[in-house]
Amino acid sequence: MKRKQRTEILIHCPTKVLRELSEAVESHHAIKILEEPNSGLVMVKMRETAMKTKFFLGEVLVTECKVLLGETLGLGILRGSHKKRAYYLAVIDAAFNADIDEIEGLRERIREESGRIQILQGRERQQILKTKVDFETLDEEVKA
Amino acid sequence: MAYVAVKGGQEAIGESLRRLEYERLRKGRIIETRAIESSLQGLIDQVMSEASLYDEALAALAVKQAQGNPEEVVFLLRAFRSTLPRKYYSRTIESHEMALSRRISASFKDIPGGQILGASPDYSHRLIDFDLIKEESDPFIPKRWLKAYLKEIESNEVHEAPLKYPKVVDYLRREGLMATYETDETEPEDVTKEALKFPSKRSQRLQILTRGQTGAVTALGYASLRGYGSVHPTVGELRVGELPVTIDPPFEEAGGEEEAYYIGDIRVTEVESIIPKAVKTPSGAYEEELELGYGICFGHNETKAIAMSILDRCLEEPAEAPTHDEEFVLYHIDSVESTGFISHLKLPHYVTFQSKLDSVRKTRKGGKKQ
Repeated sequence: MKRKQRTEILIHCPTKVLRELSEAVESHHAIKILEEPNSGLVMVKMRETAMKTKFFLGEVLVTECKVLLGETLGLGILRGSHKKRAYYLAVIDAAFNADIDEIEGLRERIREESGRIQILQGRERQQILKTKVDFETLDEEVKA
Repeated sequence: MAYVAVKGGQEAIGESLRRLEYERLRKGRIIETRAIESSLQGLIDQVMSEASLYDEALAALAVKQAQGNPEEVVFLLRAFRSTLPRKYYSRTIESHEMALSRRISASFKDIPGGQILGASPDYSHRLIDFDLIKEESDPFIPKRWLKAYLKEIESNEVHEAPLKYPKVVDYLRREGLMATYETDETEPEDVTKEALKFPSKRSQRLQILTRGQTGAVTALGYASLRGYGSVHPTVGELRVGELPVTIDPPFEEAGGEEEAYYIGDIRVTEVESIIPKAVKTPSGAYEEELELGYGICFGHNETKAIAMSILDRCLEEPAEAPTHDEEFVLYHIDSVESTGFISHLKLPHYVTFQSKLDSVRKTRKGGKKQ
């Protein structure tokens, strides 16, 4: 599980799951806060499709936290104002970066959450697809 | 012309601000920011886009503070934004990564993946719904509706594939009917860092258009359609959906997309408008080709995105009409700039006005003598 996939799942997790994972790391490893959770901006870079050039779409408010697990850095960053979540994300990131002994347990828990999130998202997609237009009736009326 | 500093009025200003607070509170009801965030999505989306700052909770708080006045909300958000450090730049987002919640085409009936209406007021009767008053006295009405809808979602089958579909215009590109461009990796200019100079760069134009005031962008797009421009598009595709924002790791070598940090999704509206253009062939004859106008903005704001796609194309095509004049368009659509300049007319101009009065009086005297 690469970082992008991992952080995407984690950001969609409820705070209690992030806290549970973070506490699982902290129960075995000392965590030092390098940068307290704080607000900042991320400028969004986008490619437009007309002439395939890049431009800046605007900025997104983020909360960022940096921690140290031993000598390994962990970064927690997410959209919005969520100090606790940023801290938990930083601890989990540090655990993966340091490849701690307990990593397989964390990975398994994240996979579980991933399955749960995919089901929720899949059902939501199905609901959106109920708004898909079926033009068949219209064609029949035209023929008549 | 000169400005002269004057003192005085502090007490009056203090009382004026107290009066403003009184106006906010006097009807005895206070709206919660969470209520604004969940009930006024259209306004939240508009101000986030015009402020060029994406955060619903912050926008809701600014809406509350500004008592719902959009220009004041945008001012507050821009001012707040200027106090924050810009920590990172995102990786370049490709629009095909959008997870769709709405997608329509005015150009083709049958499009790959189909026309998905999503949530839109377009198909409503636009009659005021007086039943909404009832839900205020009986909060179980909306709760019951929501519960039933969520139950329906819960009983759905799981649609595993993400709602990501090929672009409608890809079909026209494959057929050779549409102008094609190589991917341009030039890093964009940033209008928040460097003052705009003319001729502008495409990245500057798009950034200014996307953060433009909704009404101003719409008005100029409309003006172009009415004859003050020469672009009349057909909406090839309109998409509303979520774009994933990722950043490269700041403390290690970028390990490609898979090692990026995902920081969350942002909802955007994207429009690709198809516009015919006469192109001179090597033989000297003219043939028609299709170009795209591109519009996008934070949140769900379809009118603005369509108008932006018109203005994008206008500014790519030199012409006499005002909507093709980049200075005319780009210098007048920013909310803070335009409302700020108009508002400054309220500031004391005592000295300059006295000088104007003097001048008028002198002219009058001169007139009598004659």
